[in-house]
Amino acid sequence: MDQNNSIPAFQGLASPQGAMTPGMPIFSPMMPYGTGLTPQPIQNTNSLSILEEQQRQQQQQQQQAQQTNPGLAGTSGQTPQLFHSQTVTGSTTTALPGNTPLYNTPLTPMTPITPATPASESSGIVPQLQNIVSTVNLGCKLDLKTIALRARNAEYNPKRFAAVIMRIREPRTTALIFSSGKMVCTGAKSEEQSRLAARKYARVVQKLGFPAKFLDFKIQNMVGSCDVKFPIRLEGLVLTHQHFSSYEPELFPGLIYRMIKPRIVLLIFVSGKVVLTGAKVRAEIYEAFENIYPILKGFRKTTSCIVFTSSIPVPPELQDLIPDVVYPALPSFFLFLSLSLCLSLSLSLTRHVFI
Amino acid sequence: MFIIIFTVVMSSPMAGSVASSSSKDRSVSRTSFIPELQSMMFALGDARRPLHETAALVEDIVHTQLVAMLHQACEGALLRGSRVISAEDILFLMRRDKRKVARLLKYLQFRDYKSKLMKTLEDDDTPQETGTDTQAKRQKLAQDFLVWMDQTGELLSLAERHEVDPVKQERLERLERQTRSMDQNQYSEFCESRQLSFAKKASKFRDWLDLSSLEVKPNSIAMEILSYLAYETVAQIVDLSLLVKQEMTAKTNPISHLISASYIQYNTHAEVCAATVEQPSGAIQPCHIREAIRRYNCRHTVSPHLVSCTAYCRSGMAFLAC
Repeated sequence: MDQNNSIPAFQGLASPQGAMTPGMPIFSPMMPYGTGLTPQPIQNTNSLSILEEQQRQQQQQQQQAQQTNPGLAGTSGQTPQLFHSQTVTGSTTTALPGNTPLYNTPLTPMTPITPATPASESSGIVPQLQNIVSTVNLGCKLDLKTIALRARNAEYNPKRFAAVIMRIREPRTTALIFSSGKMVCTGAKSEEQSRLAARKYARVVQKLGFPAKFLDFKIQNMVGSCDVKFPIRLEGLVLTHQHFSSYEPELFPGLIYRMIKPRIVLLIFVSGKVVLTGAKVRAEIYEAFENIYPILKGFRKTTSCIVFTSSIPVPPELQDLIPDVVYPALPSFFLFLSLSLCLSLSLSLTRHVFI
Repeated sequence: MFIIIFTVVMSSPMAGSVASSSSKDRSVSRTSFIPELQSMMFALGDARRPLHETAALVEDIVHTQLVAMLHQACEGALLRGSRVISAEDILFLMRRDKRKVARLLKYLQFRDYKSKLMKTLEDDDTPQETGTDTQAKRQKLAQDFLVWMDQTGELLSLAERHEVDPVKQERLERLERQTRSMDQNQYSEFCESRQLSFAKKASKFRDWLDLSSLEVKPNSIAMEILSYLAYETVAQIVDLSLLVKQEMTAKTNPISHLISASYIQYNTHAEVCAATVEQPSGAIQPCHIREAIRRYNCRHTVSPHLVSCTAYCRSGMAFLAC
């Protein structure tokens, strides 16, 4: 059957979204027909039974199945919705056809947090815009010397830089005015403020006697920043996202992450501060942050020494370094206790037998 | 706390067998990078507090190698008729090892990219130059020289190559394992140690190198590359020494005797706590370093009749960084 064939293929799979897709193929309409269990399209009630059947069939650990069954039944009301919306947004999740990577990490459905980037559970943190760089064309040639002499708060050092640097207090911005008539406005905290400031500068130039217009106002770059409020283990992040990130702590304390979609550069620091730059519109910054947040959560620096390794996305090359059976921190502790108890019991028993 | 150990080290003889005789002349009063080296070694995979003797030995090795490299670069610069040692001279020395050249190019690319990024982030009041000059300055320099030197087109392709650097990959993996088991305080200390480099202490680095004996002096980009090469040398020494140390530690598992010590093995048992040994524990000893250097020399010496320039024969020690 497709299902049985596909399971071994995904056994060792280390998808970065491994933690994210536990239930998705079950509930999503993208699940192919050939699961071998039910031919009809998946509905909530049916899918629950499919889930239970699949669990019974492909169990790796018996106890996890019993633990997850009631868990899933309990959360059935909420989770399908999450997964449906997950497929709709789908920006960072990839639908794995006909599989159950869920069962390689059988504990993840147990966790009420569910997979990363469910659309309804966002990070709750909104990046704040720190700086907006915009350009505008005043449409006429300017005499920088006149401007520098007659305008207030203007400086002009032709040997150092070929533009007049002008500042206004409200909104607190700086403008570079070039002799060609082009102007760069920086320092505003929102798009509207940037436009307003650019207009003010244009009016200043107009009042000085030049026929200034306001052509082609365009926002060139937006910088935002926020704080995820937990420390991040950058070494892990640079290892698993090598293609996107570069981290040279000798040169710069932050990790530089170049996201492809949207095209944003993120500077991620150990303290949990994130700086996003390179956006042309505000939505790109928000989208980039929502994309990176689950990844950062996976590399949260915990204080305990035993790490829940299944939550860390691992590329295939490293998969063989991580054991197939992963225990979470707490139950392993109990397991160890019980084992030691059994051992001591058996030892005492043998002592009694031999004496 | 290292002051106590420092006096002990003063009496003990330095590693004369490895370094050339210049090490014995160096007096105590000269600038010493030992505390920084200890942090750097911790950041590269050594134990939490590397031994002072080890750091002293590493400092010695790095200093000797850099001075020898500088002398050769100086000769190259004089041959070119230039008044300063530039990046080209150092690149010329490194031409034999493609991987290291690729790594250096990536480093320069990162530096350029970072300065460009910082400009866009903090660009408020003072634009320094007209932008395009500073951008990719170092990269362009390296590129120009490679064009001149490159016969087969191999070196040029290095700049575009996106292959995974296996040495770098191994280092990343090692550090990832090391940090996974740390708690928050240890990790913040670790991060601070990682940020230390020779580049940050450029003036001290310059004094430490003691350029007075050279006829031509290196320019700023050459100094940057030299500080990077110094760091790479330390990293290589730590890499090799960890391998040697792993071999030397007693093995409980009979199977592991059979596995060759070409990579560092890690205990992949799920329930191993960080407190138990997951990788070779304990600080690196000077004997590990000496053994590592000896092996590197054996592997990398070029037979005299094949080499046109007398560099390798004269110094008797292969460069770790190029």
